[in-house]
Amino acid sequence: MRRVACIIAMAGLLVSPLYSQGMQDSVYVIQEVAITKERIFVKEQAGMKQTQVDSVVLQNKAHLSLSDLLSENTSVFIKNHGRGALATASFRGTSPSHTQVSWNGININSPMAGMVDFSLIPVYIIDELNLKHGSASLADRSGGIGGSININNRADWNDKYSIAYLQGIGSYSTFDEFLQVGVGNKKIQIKTRLYHNYSKNDYTFYNRGIANIDPVSGAISNPIDTNHNASYMRYGLLQEIYYRPASNHLLSLKYWGQFADRTIPKPTSYEGPDNSNLNSQEDRDHRVVADWKYYGNFGKLLLRSGYAEKGLDYKQMNQVPGLGLIPAIWSESRQQSLYNTFSYSGGTDGDLSWKGSIDLNYHKVRSADSVSGAGYEGQRNELSTMFAVRKSFKDRVNLNLMLRQEWVDGLRLPFIPYFGMDLRLIEGVDLLLKGNLARNYHLPTLNDLYWQPGGNPDLLPEVGYTVEGGLAYQQAFSGHLLLTELSLYRSQIDNWIIWIPSYRGYWEPRNIRSVLSKGLEYNIQLQGYISEFNYRLSATYGYTSAVNQGDPLIWSDESYGKQLVYIPLHSGNMMAHLGWGNLFFTYQFNAYSERYTTSSNDVSRRDKLYPYFMNDISAGSTFRLKRLDLSLEFKVYNLLNEPYHTILYRPMPGRNYQLVFKIQI
Amino acid sequence: MLIRKIIYIGLPLLLSLTGCMKDDELWEFEKPAYDIPYAGIFVINEGNFMYGNASLTYYDPETRQVIDDVFFQTNALPLGDVAHSMTIRDSLAYVVINNSGRIYIFNKNTFEVKGKITGLTSPRYMHFISETKAYVTDLYARSIAVVNPQTMEVTGAIPVSNNNGDFYQHATEQMLQYDRFVYTNCWSYDKQVLVIDSEEDRVVDSIEVRKQPNSMAMDRYNNLWVLCDGGTEGSPYGKEAAGLMRIGAGSTEAELVLDFSPEEMPRDLKINGTGDTLYYINGDVYSYAVNASAGPKLLVESPYEGSMLNGFYGLEVDPQSSEIYVADAVDFVQKGMVYRFSPEGVAVDTFRTGIAPGGFCFNF
Repeated sequence: MRRVACIIAMAGLLVSPLYSQGMQDSVYVIQEVAITKERIFVKEQAGMKQTQVDSVVLQNKAHLSLSDLLSENTSVFIKNHGRGALATASFRGTSPSHTQVSWNGININSPMAGMVDFSLIPVYIIDELNLKHGSASLADRSGGIGGSININNRADWNDKYSIAYLQGIGSYSTFDEFLQVGVGNKKIQIKTRLYHNYSKNDYTFYNRGIANIDPVSGAISNPIDTNHNASYMRYGLLQEIYYRPASNHLLSLKYWGQFADRTIPKPTSYEGPDNSNLNSQEDRDHRVVADWKYYGNFGKLLLRSGYAEKGLDYKQMNQVPGLGLIPAIWSESRQQSLYNTFSYSGGTDGDLSWKGSIDLNYHKVRSADSVSGAGYEGQRNELSTMFAVRKSFKDRVNLNLMLRQEWVDGLRLPFIPYFGMDLRLIEGVDLLLKGNLARNYHLPTLNDLYWQPGGNPDLLPEVGYTVEGGLAYQQAFSGHLLLTELSLYRSQIDNWIIWIPSYRGYWEPRNIRSVLSKGLEYNIQLQGYISEFNYRLSATYGYTSAVNQGDPLIWSDESYGKQLVYIPLHSGNMMAHLGWGNLFFTYQFNAYSERYTTSSNDVSRRDKLYPYFMNDISAGSTFRLKRLDLSLEFKVYNLLNEPYHTILYRPMPGRNYQLVFKIQI
Repeated sequence: MLIRKIIYIGLPLLLSLTGCMKDDELWEFEKPAYDIPYAGIFVINEGNFMYGNASLTYYDPETRQVIDDVFFQTNALPLGDVAHSMTIRDSLAYVVINNSGRIYIFNKNTFEVKGKITGLTSPRYMHFISETKAYVTDLYARSIAVVNPQTMEVTGAIPVSNNNGDFYQHATEQMLQYDRFVYTNCWSYDKQVLVIDSEEDRVVDSIEVRKQPNSMAMDRYNNLWVLCDGGTEGSPYGKEAAGLMRIGAGSTEAELVLDFSPEEMPRDLKINGTGDTLYYINGDVYSYAVNASAGPKLLVESPYEGSMLNGFYGLEVDPQSSEIYVADAVDFVQKGMVYRFSPEGVAVDTFRTGIAPGGFCFNF
């Protein structure tokens, strides 16, 4: 009976997002486990490549950062600056700012730098994680030349009251605490999530950057050093309130606040005084979003308003004799964004549907360094209108046309069209041939335009032309479900912005690069049941050729025709999850081919990062104690204790452990 | 039963994966065999900030032989993060590694590392006062370190703080000596040349120049020439036109010799071996005779269109032949180039360097 409860609990988590989305086609119930077929032939999604991250994965990685999940379970490449440090995304070989990230419908990319630091997003606050690859992101907004990552929270209308607590204890004084309290009924649901994460992050490593030189023999040895000044801490609150006064009205209000404080380690080769070159970064975020959804006779209405505010402080302190610890850099920035969305859609039940939406966003940034006095203030108004029409023909063909027109500070941008198509190759079989054709724009960030010194107000938007095609297949066997998709894409991105030195002696952004990104994405998911075991296997493979085709700066510029820095040509990952009774076991594998750090793709040993293969395993058990559901899991990261780097000269931790304890009422 | 099967099959499979990553392969190498030219030029490649990929390239002007990455190849030791400058004293070379807070000392002819001076906050340049005393300027320490090159220890500090939080003054940069006085330019958000008495190890005077003096040279008459870039547009520190200034031998007054237009930002002031001709980068490379009756002369034109994208990142003049070496960092994330020109500006040779070549050091 205990086993049944556990499996049902797991299966419930697996299924509920799909139920609530109204996406399930048919439900196969085999013994205790429910396996749900996804609806993959949807006219509103025709031609779009999407990844819905499985709730088993979300649950398994709840105590980690989104950066870990994305690199291990999706085809997004994460450039990780160290454990707990800045982690940026590259989707299909593009820049970090080419991935648009939303939280409950509002964009959370920094209006200053354009990107998102995924190490700051705990998986714990995510109920649903959706990735739209490439042009599919145009369904929500422009700018996602690489794609979009969409984080959503949703109400569980069956919840009367619930309390859940998760405690993680790991190597390097790592402590993670998460608490969730929910209360409600069929009309109102209130949920609060609190979290606190801390790590001293003081792993040891063999330091190749520092030499002990024997004064007599001249022999060189390297010390074992500790990763000092690398601690991180964050705490936050996610508050959700949902109200359903009638079956066709849904109101919600969500708030997410977070404070993060990190010290940034010195270069590993640093041999200056202990109390100098001390760098730290503080991130303070507040985000709030209110929604009204109305389901009328003719369609669905959505009104949404949101506000996001970010404070980011960066400091560098040095000990000065007689003065004490004084700042050399004290940079403070404040970013504020206001979001408004109005959308109306209709006809989703018939053969022809349509959707119209208007987005009105405003961003304001103030950044200043109180030591040098350098800084800027910038703001931007964005107006985006979208109209989409979708048509289905006899359950064999779906067509999807989305047209977008945007204005920035009153200036009209070129038109953004998307055309996508699905073809069901065999009647009644989920085997689809899909493809799309689109143009997309990405606006320069406010730093690009106004940074002091160097900002270039004459920058043009980056423009991407993308064509993609692929095959998607889904098949349910007795007790097993297979879901697999292959995509091929080709994106030409012009006016690509890079920062380069100018004759003035500082760096300036310019529209000088042109990038051709071509690639292949393959993913497969198999889940089901073999006698007493339930299993889930998923794997992705990506081939990403992102090549610079911009005019060489000079005859000696060898970057033309070369892979962009830090983008691996091959990337892949695999996760196997096995459940048996109240025991479960997870194996995670993640690999990248070598990455270059030079634009000329220098193959010299010093300038590239070696291929990366990472193995993690975990095992745990769930059990019931009176009315409490308990779970205990032990995780081993870097199982083979391999030395590795994700950026040059920043060794990463060896084998390390974590114990995760969950309790739920 | 099945569990046992999984263990039997799975565990060996997992263990067979051991050592997938070949991260350490980088360090398994043999020192390449090459003949080291006795005389040559070191190119100091800064590398990228926080990448730890600074390096030294060695070039023989006679045979035109280039030896890459000599320090690492000889010692299996990375130089560090951002190599800034280099000084040679007798048979030893001292390379200042800014963001590693240290100076590596190596034999200038065998490249073998001999020692290091550590405990420096953000070192920039090293200047010898005697066999047992040298100064090291610093960007962030607000003091100049006094070091003993023989014991390789920091022995003292000369405070240079103006005790004011704004603009973090003074950040000290290059050093030149006249008599017992060492002159150092305070470049970052500053407009001073400090005068240090090298017998007393203290600041005795300061000379006001135009904003942001970035480089200095001393001519045959012991006049100190200071090139000021004027600061950056929009900065609260303010911006003025760049200028080339002259401080007469022993004087504490700077006089303006060349005035630049507001958009020009000249840099890298150098002088030839005979001390009569100055050189600098202002998009292109110019020369200027110290007792000139005419204005500066365009010597080497930048290959960059409109000089807007300027990869000209370093400049040096051969003290013997007066040949000109110009470093080009291209996009700063690939190997740079050095162009060698005759004293008249005629191209002689080009060669590849490490990443972000910014300085030179002659080993003659």
